[in-house]
Amino acid sequence: MSTNNNVMVSIDHLYKSYGPEMAVKDFNIEIEQGEFVTLLGPSGCGKTTTLRCVAGLERPEAGEIRIGETTVVAPEKEIFLYPEHRNIGMVFQSYAVWPHMTVFDNVAYGLRVRRASSNEIKTKTMQTLELVGLDHLADRFATKLSGGQRQRVALARAICYQPEVILFDEPLSNLDAKLREQMRDEIVRLQKEVGITSIFVTHDQSEALVMSDRVVVMDKAVIQQVGDPQEIYANPANSFVANFIGVTSLLEGKLDGRDGDICSVDVSMGQGAEPLRLRAIGAEGATPGDTVNVSLRPEDVTLHLERPQGTDHGNLIEGNVIDTIYLGSFLEGRVRVGPHEIGIQIDHFENLVRDQTVYLSFQPEHSLCLAN
Amino acid sequence: MTTETYSSNAVERSRLNNRLRAMVTQENLITLVVALIVAGAVIVPLVVLFVSSFKVLDPAGWDTTWGFGNYVTMFTDRIIPKAFVNTLIISSGSTILATFLGVSLAWINARTNCPGRSYLEPYNLIPFFLSPFVGAIAWHNLGEPQTGLLNNLAREVFGIEGAIINVDNIWGVIWVTGIFFAPLVYLFVVGSLRRMDPSLEDSARTTGAGLFRTTMTVTLPLVMPGILSGAIIVFVTSAGEFGVPFKLSAPYGWETLTTQIFSKAVGDDANHHMGAAMSMALGIITVFLIWVQQRYIAPRSFTTVTGKGFRPNVLDLGPWRWVAFGYNIFFIMVAVVLPIVCLIIVSLHPVWTGKIVLADITTINYVKTLMWWHPEAISAATNGIGNSLILAFGGASISMVLALVISYMIHRTKGFGVRMLDFLSMVPIGFPGIVLAMGVLVTYIQTPIYATLWILMLAYITRFFPYGQRNISSIMLAISEELDQSSRMAGASWFTTLRRITIPLLKPGLFAGWILLFIIFLRELSISIILFTTGTETLSVGVYYLTNFENEPLTSALSMAQTVMLLIAIYAFRRLAGREALTA
Ligand SMILES: Nc1ncnc2c1ncn2[C@@H]1O[C@H](COP(=O)(O)OP(=O)(O)O)[C@@H](O)[C@H]1O
Ligand SMILES: [Mg+2]
Repeated sequence: MSTNNNVMVSIDHLYKSYGPEMAVKDFNIEIEQGEFVTLLGPSGCGKTTTLRCVAGLERPEAGEIRIGETTVVAPEKEIFLYPEHRNIGMVFQSYAVWPHMTVFDNVAYGLRVRRASSNEIKTKTMQTLELVGLDHLADRFATKLSGGQRQRVALARAICYQPEVILFDEPLSNLDAKLREQMRDEIVRLQKEVGITSIFVTHDQSEALVMSDRVVVMDKAVIQQVGDPQEIYANPANSFVANFIGVTSLLEGKLDGRDGDICSVDVSMGQGAEPLRLRAIGAEGATPGDTVNVSLRPEDVTLHLERPQGTDHGNLIEGNVIDTIYLGSFLEGRVRVGPHEIGIQIDHFENLVRDQTVYLSFQPEHSLCLAN
Repeated sequence: MTTETYSSNAVERSRLNNRLRAMVTQENLITLVVALIVAGAVIVPLVVLFVSSFKVLDPAGWDTTWGFGNYVTMFTDRIIPKAFVNTLIISSGSTILATFLGVSLAWINARTNCPGRSYLEPYNLIPFFLSPFVGAIAWHNLGEPQTGLLNNLAREVFGIEGAIINVDNIWGVIWVTGIFFAPLVYLFVVGSLRRMDPSLEDSARTTGAGLFRTTMTVTLPLVMPGILSGAIIVFVTSAGEFGVPFKLSAPYGWETLTTQIFSKAVGDDANHHMGAAMSMALGIITVFLIWVQQRYIAPRSFTTVTGKGFRPNVLDLGPWRWVAFGYNIFFIMVAVVLPIVCLIIVSLHPVWTGKIVLADITTINYVKTLMWWHPEAISAATNGIGNSLILAFGGASISMVLALVISYMIHRTKGFGVRMLDFLSMVPIGFPGIVLAMGVLVTYIQTPIYATLWILMLAYITRFFPYGQRNISSIMLAISEELDQSSRMAGASWFTTLRRITIPLLKPGLFAGWILLFIIFLRELSISIILFTTGTETLSVGVYYLTNFENEPLTSALSMAQTVMLLIAIYAFRRLAGREALTA
C-alpha cells in the first residue's frame, strides 16, 4: 500500500473528538523505519489522543493509520485492530508497572502472551533486562523499585518482544530533574541501539529538541510545524512555535516594508509614544500594515551598560532592568522596553540593579519576524 | 559537695513530680475513663461467655460443675457436629456465590459500557440494607415445592409437573445468603476498580494481551486483596447469620451453629452453658478470620491509583454489553424485585396456597400486624415496630456519640488508653451478633436490665458502634489536624473548635453513619432473638414469631412493613450521604 518501503507509521487525515470538542484535527505524518519522532505541545493539545489512536486505545472518527504494511484503523473502511493485534509497545506516564508481578514477569509478559518457548522467554527477558541495567533485580517485586527503575521496567516490557513501533506518553514527566536527563539519554541510546521506530509525546521542548530526529509541534488539536530540531528552533513557522520552543520574547508591531530578506517593523511602544523601528528577517506572506511579531531569543541579545558607539550593532534598544535570576552558570534577566519585556542571558557577572537603564542590541539576522 | 548532691536530687524529684502531674491531665483521665467503659461493655461479656462455657449442666438441669464437658458434647452430640459442617458448607457456598456476583457486578458497573450502569448501581446495593431473614421468607414463598409462587407459575404456564426449584434446603440458604451478601463484596472492590490507573490495563493490551487475558492477569489480581477481604467478611457474616438457615434449612433437618445456639439460649431445653461453648467455637473461627483479614490482607492492597494522566477507562463490550445489562437486571430481579413482589402478593391473601386468588385479596394481615389498637392485633408483631424504632433511634444516636468521642480520642489526643480504644473498637467486628448476644445474656441475666429494652440497646451498641467509629475515623484521617489547630491558634477554645470546626466537617459522615446504624438496628435479628422477652420483641423478632407460630401471609405483611421502613431509610441515606458515601 505504502509507496515508500521505509515508512513504518503513516497517519492520514486523522480526526478525533470528545463530544463537541476536537482533540485531534487533520493529523498527517509519515514516520520512517527507525525514526524517533516527538509530538510536542502544551497540555491538552491532543498529543496523547494521537498516540492512543496509534495504539488502538482510542477510536478515531476519521482518517487512516498504517503500521508497516497493515492498516490498523480506518473508520471509513470499518477497519479497527485492537491494541493487542498491532505489534506495538507503549510506555506510559505513570509507569504502569504491575505491582503484583516481579520485574521478570512484567518484562516477560509480552513474550508469554505471544506463546514464546520458555527458553526464549528466559533468554530474551534477561537480555532486555541487561539492556536497561536491571538484570540484578529480576526477582524483585515491582513495588520495591524506585521511580527510575520502574520506568526502566516499563521500557523493557515494551521492547522485549521487539514490536515494530514503540510509543512513549510523557514517560519522563514523573521523574525528578536529574533522573529525567539520565533516562532521556538512555532512551535515546536504546532506541538507536535497537533501531526501533519511536513516537514520543512530551510537553517539554528541551526533551523534544535533544531526543528527536523530527519534532511535530501541536497546538489546539492541530499540527503547527513538522521539522528536525534545528529547523524548528531556528525557523519557527509561527509565533506559537517560536514562543513554545525555548524562551522567546515576542514584540508585537506593524510590518512597514521589506528590503530583500530584511524587513522593518514598527514596534508599538504604548499609546502616544513613538514606535520603535526594528529590522528582522522573515515575515513571508505578510504585507505592509499587517500585525507581526519580532521574536528574539535571550542568547542572541547583547547587553550594554553604556550606550554603545558605532553602527554595527544592528538593532539597538534602550530599556530598564526588571529583575535578574541566578541560574548557576549564568544569569537570566528581564528588561522592560515600553510595554514589552525582553528576556536576556548574562554570561558574566554584572551588578544590575532594578530600574537601571541598559542597552540591548541584536543583529537583524538573529531575530525572526513572524506572521500571527 | 553535699549541697550539690542535695540540689541535684531535688531537681530530679521535681522533674518526676512534673512528669506525674503532666500525666494526670484532663485529657488522659477522660480517655482512660472512656476506654474502661468500652472495655467493660466489650470485654466483660466475652470473658463471662468464656468462663460460662466451662460450666457443665448436670442432666437434671439443676446444678453445674466445672469442666470441658460442653466442648466434648460438641463432638459427641447427635446434631452439633452436623450443624458445624452445615455452617461451613453454607458459609463457603455463599462466599463463592457472593464473591462471584459482587465482583462481576462491580466490574460491570465500574469498568464497562453496560447500558444504564449508574442507574443500576443503587439497586445492586439494596440487598445490603434489607434483611436476609425477610429475603429467606420471600424466597420460601417463591421456591417452596408446593406453595412456591415460581413453582406454581411453572406448573400453570408451562404445564410442568412437580417443582422447578426447591429452596428449603442448604442450597436455598446458600442462594439467599449469597445474593444478599453480594453487595458486601461489591463495596470492597468497586472503589479500587473505579479508581485503578487505566494504564495498568492499557499496557497489558498494548503488550499483546486481549481483553479476557488482561482482566484475568492484571485487573483481577490487582483487586484481589479487596476480593479476599470481601470474601472473608461474607464468610464470617454468613457463619453468624441466623435468620436464613432458621427459615430455610433448620426446619428441614439442616441445623447450623447459629440455629443450635439459639435453641440452647431459649426454649424448653435451654442450656446457656452449652450455648456459650458453641458460641466460643463460632467466635474463635470468626475472630481468627477477621484477624487474618485485618493483619495480612487489608495491608496488602496495591496502590494502583495515580493522579496524573488519568482517563476514565470504560471498556467497550460491544454487543456483549446487553448480556451484562441482562445479568445485572437478573440480579436485581432475584435479589430485590421478586422477593418484594412476592411478599406483597402473599401478604394480601388470608391464607397462602401458592396461587393468586384475586377474589380473596384482603388487608387483614396488615391490620393484625400493624394496628396495635385493633382487637385482633398480634402483640408480638405490633410491639416490634415501636421497640425497633426506639432501639434504632436511641441506639444509633448513642453509638454515634460514642463513636465520635472515641474517634476524636484516637485521632486527636494522645491520652492513655488510646491504643486500647483502637483495639477495643476492632474486637466486636470479629464476633457474630449471636455470639456477643450469648455473652450479654449470660452476663446480665441475673441483673435488672435483663428483660428490658436496655439489654438489647447495650448489645446493639456494643456490637455495632465500631461501624460508626470507622466511618468517622476515616473522615478524621482525611481532614487535616491543622484545620483544628489553626482554629485553636486563632484563639478559639477547645470546645468552640469542636463545635465550629470539627463537627461541621464531620457532619456528612455523622449522618451517614447514623442512618447506616439505624438501618442495621431496624432489621437486627440475631442479637434480638437471644435477648428478647415478651414485651421487648423487635421487628425481626415479630417476623420470627409470626413465621413460627402464625402463617405466611401475616409474616409477609410484617416483613413488608419492615422492608418499606428500610427502603425509606435507604432513600434518606442516599439523599443525605450522597452517591459516593458507600462506594468511594
Ligand atoms: N477521555 C476523554 N474524554 C473527554 N475529553 C478528553 C478525553 N481525553 C482527552 N480529552 C480532551 O481532549 C483534549 C486533548 O487531550 P490530550 O490528548 O490528553 O492532550 P495532551 O496529551 O496533549 O495533553 C483535551 O482538551 C482533553 O480535555
Ligand atoms: Mg497527555
